Amino acid sequence: MRPLTEDETRTVFEKIANYTGGSLKNLIAPLPNGDRFVLRIQKDRVYYVLLSIANLATSIARDKLLSVGTCLGKITKTGKFRLHITALDILASHARYKLWLKPNGEMPFLYGGHVVKAHVGRWSDDCPEHQGVVVYNMQDVPIGFGVTARSTAEAKRLAPTGIVCFRQADCGEYVRDEDNLFTSG
Amino acid sequence: MAPSRTKTVKNKHAGSKAVQGKHASKKPGPPDGIVKAKKIKGTPPAKTAVGKQIVKLLEKRKKNRNKTYTDEELGIPKLNKITPVGVQKPRGKKKGKVFVDDRESMTTILAMVQAEKEGQIESKIMKARQLEEIREARKLEAEKKEEEKKSKLEEVKDNLRKKRKRNKTTPKDEDNVNELTSTGTKATRPKKKVSFA
Repeated sequence: MRPLTEDETRTVFEKIANYTGGSLKNLIAPLPNGDRFVLRIQKDRVYYVLLSIANLATSIARDKLLSVGTCLGKITKTGKFRLHITALDILASHARYKLWLKPNGEMPFLYGGHVVKAHVGRWSDDCPEHQGVVVYNMQDVPIGFGVTARSTAEAKRLAPTGIVCFRQADCGEYVRDEDNLFTSG
Repeated sequence: MAPSRTKTVKNKHAGSKAVQGKHASKKPGPPDGIVKAKKIKGTPPAKTAVGKQIVKLLEKRKKNRNKTYTDEELGIPKLNKITPVGVQKPRGKKKGKVFVDDRESMTTILAMVQAEKEGQIESKIMKARQLEEIREARKLEAEKKEEEKKSKLEEVKDNLRKKRKRNKTTPKDEDNVNELTSTGTKATRPKKKVSFA
């Protein structure tokens, strides 16, 4: 486990900033008890963890450490960063654009489908194209995140079967991708 | 008379040296009295202006000999060569990664990234709005054109109708007038009748 380099930090923040607004700086703000959250990389996974816990984790051998804190995603071999569904909590608390799904659209989304216009209950106004959005159900529970296929204005003219949001991650992955999501090797 | 005893001197030079030392303490200088001319070290051979210039030139030459020029300084075009991964990093630099762990640098990176993203989103929104405006304008124009077309068509239709009406009315009137003039008002054509017995 090690801290991130400057480039790695930038790529991670750039990806997260697609989904979040100005409140992102609270992500690394110091807590009232003097502690703060830091980013740590273990193998290729990036973890968002309290500094005190990260310091404790140094007593565990690298190859024996499976996970610590919240896994945000993984850094690919080409140097890009891929967000995992485990980062949903952090994204949802700082989300800039949101999309609410009708009950009939929840299951198709949780099974890995993109969001079609007919399934959208509500949508943040003035949302541009290809912008990260957090997907909620109508009870305001975050169930995944994606990237908009059309801007809000364009989506109004779209047919009900037209895709408005490309899925990036959904809560169904906890079941579908259990083996890859939490590596044990 | 007491026999004179010869003194055995263990070291001939010792006494004399001691004496010399005493002398030396009194008088600085060599014991043999020969004074050598002092050598002046490091003095330039000539103090004239020409001499100075020569010295300067020599120094410059020395410097130039040691100086090595890089490719960039000489303006040599870069070769289209493949630099291996291991060679890409400059020598003398610290090996390994530079970690970012302090809050200040992380905040700086975060602020930079955020500003960049904000700019991107803003530009996206602006672009979308502009496109929307253009689309609206086009739509309005198309509607206008269609209306014009329709109105033109209507006009043409009206004209045709009017023309037809005129055409229909004028020949009939003329006929009537002719008939009236020829046969009078009550004159009617004899109707053909078929009667069965």
